Amino acid sequence: MTTSPSPYLRLTTVDAATTVRIEVNGDLDYDSAPHLLAVVTGKLAERPDLKDLHLHCAGLGAIDSIGLSALLMIHRHTSTAGVRLHLEHRTARLERLLAITGTLDHLTTVTTGDANAPADTAQAKPRTNATPARLTGPDSTA
Amino acid sequence: MVSPEAHSDSTTEPGSPWDGAPYPVLLTDVQGMVVLSNAAAAVLLPAARPGARLKDVAPAWLSAAHDVLRTPGLEASRPLSGVMGARSFEAHPSVQADGSVVWWLVDDTDHRLVREALTVERERTAFLAEASNMLLSSLNLGRCMGVTAQLAAEYLADAALVVAPSRGRRMPVVTSLRGASPTTKHEAADPNDVPGLSEALRGFPPVPSRWIDPGGAPRWMVPEDFGPVGSIVITPLPGHGVPAGALILLRRSDTMAFTQNEEVFAQLFAARAGAAMSAARLYAEQAAITDVLMQELLPPTLHQICGIDFAGGYRPSADHERVGGDFYDVHPAAVEGEASLVALGDVCGKGLEAAVLTGKIRNTLQALLPMADDHQRMISLLNTALLTSHHTRFATLVLASAVRNGSDVELRLTSAGHPPPLILRKNGTVEEADTSGTLVGALPHATARTAALTLSPGESCVLYTDGITEAKGGLTGDSQFGEDRLKRALGQCGGMPAESIVEHVQMLAAQWVGHRPHDDMAVVVIAAPRTHHLTAVSGHTRGRFTS
Repeated sequence: MTTSPSPYLRLTTVDAATTVRIEVNGDLDYDSAPHLLAVVTGKLAERPDLKDLHLHCAGLGAIDSIGLSALLMIHRHTSTAGVRLHLEHRTARLERLLAITGTLDHLTTVTTGDANAPADTAQAKPRTNATPARLTGPDSTA
Repeated sequence: MVSPEAHSDSTTEPGSPWDGAPYPVLLTDVQGMVVLSNAAAAVLLPAARPGARLKDVAPAWLSAAHDVLRTPGLEASRPLSGVMGARSFEAHPSVQADGSVVWWLVDDTDHRLVREALTVERERTAFLAEASNMLLSSLNLGRCMGVTAQLAAEYLADAALVVAPSRGRRMPVVTSLRGASPTTKHEAADPNDVPGLSEALRGFPPVPSRWIDPGGAPRWMVPEDFGPVGSIVITPLPGHGVPAGALILLRRSDTMAFTQNEEVFAQLFAARAGAAMSAARLYAEQAAITDVLMQELLPPTLHQICGIDFAGGYRPSADHERVGGDFYDVHPAAVEGEASLVALGDVCGKGLEAAVLTGKIRNTLQALLPMADDHQRMISLLNTALLTSHHTRFATLVLASAVRNGSDVELRLTSAGHPPPLILRKNGTVEEADTSGTLVGALPHATARTAALTLSPGESCVLYTDGITEAKGGLTGDSQFGEDRLKRALGQCGGMPAESIVEHVQMLAAQWVGHRPHDDMAVVVIAAPRTHHLTAVSGHTRGRFTS
């Protein structure tokens, strides 16, 4: 278990067999979002056997557009690496932001493969999240 | 230095105890006649033999000191000093019981020189500190050049010129005569004509100051009514990796020419002035870039188009270094009877990256205008155009197509990941437009649902960015303005003209945040104008015109 201290964002990382859980405490914004992104990409590089990445969001404070952009980038990375991303214990604020921006389904629909990479690199791949309909994937909000 | 051990002819008996004294010693009697002078004193004042009058053999300052000492009540309180030959001495008298005086002469030449040097250095340090203060207090290049020229003319020379590297054919030159305010000119001169000037202006490699022949100085270099020039020095103004310019110092022929010491000092000053000028230049360049970008990005002034009222307001984030991330545009219908398109959006992030993305979005939307009747397709194509594998920077926006139908306005509204527009009805209710969609620029596909609705005369539709609703303020300073507060405020705006609604919302948001920092805030109001009779105070609406 490691903790990365940052004045406004504290990340606690718990490693298990094929999963990693990162507890997010504090604001995810212009100043702190690169830190979360760096921790996640570092973890993905370090753990090629990883199957599931759980972001525990109960302690998430304010989240701005850069924070959301970081979550979208994390999802892009996990999908490419074949890791399932779980946004757990989402706060009402996060839920609302994801709903307004139309990213809730995208971020909480668990896919593998690089299906959500940009169109130019994903042409030949099957798109499991291509439809805008609300897919009910194994999203672990519980 | 006069050696205390120096031997000379016998003014004192050889072996006299005075000869061993480490200083020149003179013994004078009450009448001011020399009674005795030791070996060291004989070297210093060879004529001061016993029997000579002090007045005749000693410098005036010493004999005057003797007179003062002999006058009751004028006791000299501190050591007297003066020059003897090439050196200076302090004279310490001790008066004997019989009225004779022993003068001890202490050589203080080195001490005095050190003291003088210290005074000069202190003055220079104070000058450099003042120069730094004056130079750094302004980021205006013109003012920096003026201050540099003025300070140099005041402390270093009779006149000073600051030459900036030329842009184009003319060289900006600030001239300052001592005691006069600096003047700026653009000289169509070639720096290559002045030896050392073009090298100094190039900035690299660093060149030392250069003396030039005053006779060979071009006319632009010598201020009018300056008189004959005695000496000219050209010193480069070193900048932060970029040449800041050159400092030209002129002295009149009746002023002392520059010493090497003064030249070194001028370089110290030039280093400070150059740093300040290059900082000002870099700042000016950055400000110019920001201005160009802002000009391109500033929202247009809105007015009535095709019988529909449009009004917009934009309050950029107070963070002056950053170009805003909110934008709006109105594209009037190309053909009468077709819909005009409004786009209002918010780009993720701040600064230049956000500005670049904003520019891209506005251009793309303009190119997609021929298909403005199909919002979904526009959003989908815009999404594809913005998508890149490098980042997930995105934008959220609302598209609104508005067309006049009789006295009504038909609206189609589509949100792409943006807070839905609010509709102000005549009865004071505020509705959220039923539209939603995904943001653009980050996901492989963007989809959206369009809402169609009708505005009756006096009704309006408010498009806004979350800078309004997420503005932090209020009593605690920490609560958000929020959508509920915005809806309640809009509920009071029934029947107001579009401009007044924009102003009202902006005023409330500004009051809410107070002096706290805030994000960009943009509001656009689309209103169906009241057509025939004035219903502002009809009783159907609250009729409050607070603006």
